[in-house]
Amino acid sequence: MAPTRALLRSARPLLSSPASPVHHHQLLHDFLAPALFSSSSRRSLSSTPPPSQATPATTNNAQSHSRDGGAQQKPKKLKPLTPEQQSFLSSALRVNQAGELAATLIYTGQTPPLISRHPHLRPLMEHMYDQEASHLKTFNTLLAKHRVRPTALYPLWSVMASGLGWGTAIMGREAAMACTEAVETEIGDHYNSQIRTLLSMVTEWEEQGYDVGDEFRELIGTLRRIRDEELEHLDHAVQHDSKKAEPHWLLTGVIRAGCRGAIWVSERV
Amino acid sequence: MTMAARPALRRAIPSLRSSTTHQSPQIQHSLRSFSCSSPACRASPAGSTTPDYATPDPSRPTHFGFETVTEAEKRERVAGVFRSVAESYDKMNDLMSFGWHRVWKDHFVAGLNPGFSPLGTPGSDPRSPQHILDIAGGTGDIAFRMLHTAHVVNGNPDVTVTISDINPAMLSVGRQRAQQQLTASQLAATSFVEANAEDLTQTKPLAPDSHSHSTITTTATTIPTTNPPISSSIPDNSVDLYTVAFGIRNFSNIPAALREAYRVLKPGGVFACLEFSKADRYGPVFNTIYKQWSFGAIPLIGQLVAGDRDSYQYLVESIERFPSQGEFRDMIVDAGFVVGGTGYENLTGGVAAIHKGMKPRAQ
Amino acid sequence: MSSTAGAVTGQIARCVQRPAAARLAPIASRTTTATNLVTVHCRPAASGRRTLSSACLLLRTTQSPRLSTTTPTTRTIPTCRAYHSYDHPPPPGPFSETEQAILSAAYKHVPEYGFSEEALALGARDAGYLDISTNLLPEGAFSLIRWHLVTQREALASRVDSNNNSVEALTWERLLGNKDVIRRWQEALAIMAQPSHVPASLKELAMLADEILYLSGDTSVDPSWYTKRASLSAVYASAELFMTNDFSEGFQDTRAFLKRRLNESAEVRGVLRSVGEWVTFTASAGVNVLRSKGVRI
Repeated sequence: MAPTRALLRSARPLLSSPASPVHHHQLLHDFLAPALFSSSSRRSLSSTPPPSQATPATTNNAQSHSRDGGAQQKPKKLKPLTPEQQSFLSSALRVNQAGELAATLIYTGQTPPLISRHPHLRPLMEHMYDQEASHLKTFNTLLAKHRVRPTALYPLWSVMASGLGWGTAIMGREAAMACTEAVETEIGDHYNSQIRTLLSMVTEWEEQGYDVGDEFRELIGTLRRIRDEELEHLDHAVQHDSKKAEPHWLLTGVIRAGCRGAIWVSERV
Repeated sequence: MTMAARPALRRAIPSLRSSTTHQSPQIQHSLRSFSCSSPACRASPAGSTTPDYATPDPSRPTHFGFETVTEAEKRERVAGVFRSVAESYDKMNDLMSFGWHRVWKDHFVAGLNPGFSPLGTPGSDPRSPQHILDIAGGTGDIAFRMLHTAHVVNGNPDVTVTISDINPAMLSVGRQRAQQQLTASQLAATSFVEANAEDLTQTKPLAPDSHSHSTITTTATTIPTTNPPISSSIPDNSVDLYTVAFGIRNFSNIPAALREAYRVLKPGGVFACLEFSKADRYGPVFNTIYKQWSFGAIPLIGQLVAGDRDSYQYLVESIERFPSQGEFRDMIVDAGFVVGGTGYENLTGGVAAIHKGMKPRAQ
Repeated sequence: MSSTAGAVTGQIARCVQRPAAARLAPIASRTTTATNLVTVHCRPAASGRRTLSSACLLLRTTQSPRLSTTTPTTRTIPTCRAYHSYDHPPPPGPFSETEQAILSAAYKHVPEYGFSEEALALGARDAGYLDISTNLLPEGAFSLIRWHLVTQREALASRVDSNNNSVEALTWERLLGNKDVIRRWQEALAIMAQPSHVPASLKELAMLADEILYLSGDTSVDPSWYTKRASLSAVYASAELFMTNDFSEGFQDTRAFLKRRLNESAEVRGVLRSVGEWVTFTASAGVNVLRSKGVRI
């Protein structure tokens, strides 16, 4: 029940926000049952007028795009990104890459000591590592594609993440799981806030009558998928007795604070 | 500062000190008075392109230091302040800025580089003459520097300067100084007019002193000393360079002045303004120190040195009420000018700032 | 910070409808960023519309200068394009239309008059403005230098074909872009070295190195992102300096110089990579040997 409670906790402020019913509905379901909502169903729920009727008298850099794969070419009106939005997107991708790098290295550090004492955990560790590795690959591709710079403290985070993984594994299985729990909780919150911001950007554009490009929707979809997988790791960690680590509050507190600090620094440096 | 003038000044500036406690609502109000949101200027009259807030309206509220007054009253009070400080204006500036205002003015004029002509032999190309209008430049600080740069440094004698001020006392001081400091050819290129910057269609050449023997050419006509001065106007698209140094914060209606500047400038002409601004370039600590100095020490020094605390209090408060660099840049853009880069240059950490804009060519 | 965010939030409420996501992240800095992202564009978009709404004035003024939205008629100091979007239209360049008109006209006079006020004033005249109009450009002659750097960098994408896009070919193409003004480039470097212009000059160099590596197809996003750009910047700067004194036919001496420098940096990179690989291999092999001996690490 703990993971669901954690999910509800993060969803609660959204429920109390003065959102329009349509978006309220879609955001609530987003967090409780993300798979229910694909981008196509979301579009049918949104109250955006069709692009041809919208007439904002601002810069019109139309881009033609065939949505239904047919012969019809509907020019999409996309708003230029403001400098704040650009820097948000670049720092978001940078932090995500740093986070996935840290996660892969934590698992790499944790796996040998853990497996030597608890061989039955090998499939779980392999599964989580594979997922993190694919996340890292995704973000590497995104960074290269969008010409975003990686964090300058890459070597530092590499060393610290490996050390954290190895250290908590040496402390024991419960400590290793508690480390995973702490990191994944922080990462889950972090992805949630990024997705919230991106969705609010989409809402704003739709309100102003602009289209939202495929690139952006794919980005939101990717972040959602990755967030879900991270929360799945959180569930696994709790199932494997992460709460039994001694002292749980200190371990998770320190690791969560460290994660928040690393996120804050990576957004800027 | 004569003893007779002081009571007159006191009547003109009642209870300035009591208004210092109402700082933030006044600042809110001042921002609003530059904007369209107050009911007085919601909709512009049908058919006019000038927004309502940019049309001078004597009954519209504005600020005088931290007090709220009407535009007409502000004009009177500012006139009172400057009438009383005209003689000691230099001393006042030196005290307020530790003499650094001279450096700022030198930098301002050097940056503008009036009279610069790329062909090396000015006068050969009909486009190299320049006409400069210096607004609120009564005592002539900027104008004399412009003349020096243009005539001497750039060797371009075809540059003329019109010094305009709403206050004849300041202009008289300027004219006396001009007669002492300028060469004959520079003096011939100078003219003094009384004008309100918000309406440059009503200008008056400065009446010659009864003691002066030199003739001063005016913008429109030369007048015989016995007749009253004839009103004239500064025509559209006639000025190459419009400068205002440390004057614009005293205007009752800044958007109106900006639009007049737009009107009189030629396409390609430059509007340049040197003014005190928000000293927040180096962080809040510097700003706090600066504010402490302004509000704490300057009125006191004014009291001790010039015997005129109230005028200095007004001047310090008017600096505080002037919009920030970005806001003022936006007002300049709103008046139709184009700006380059950020549109302003901070001096001494933002204590002063130079704003420049150019009138675009007609499309 | 939270009071500033609160002030910004309060102002935004007047200007734009609050988005659905009301909860902002716990860290105050992210709060400010998140709030600012959804600002309405209260800027004069087309050249005809000049009036600004008052609330937008308020909005813009309460933000710190870094976070304020730029208008088409004003430009902040050029920043690296932080996020390159393929769908969205590109953000406005560092120069406004009027500045572009004056600078492009002035650029033609550079070979004769150098990067100087004379060239700018002649350009202003050619573009139909007055001599005094050069005051529009806030940095004077440095604006002309920046114009050269920006236009050459942006032209790089179109000047190189896809089957010859090695780093060396791209860098050589960019160096050739200097050939019309190379006799004036030493003066330009002197102006760029003035303390007030050094940050902008270094920024342009970094953006050029990024552009060259991007066009050459480099997709690394680990620390070598930084080392490659740093070394390429150094190589390019030294080659450019060499070129200012190169009088050979077709600048072939510069080309040879460039080749040598690039080979050196490739060698150094190779050596460092080998050393790094050796160290990591030895360390992990050592740890594994200990584990196989039963040490519980």
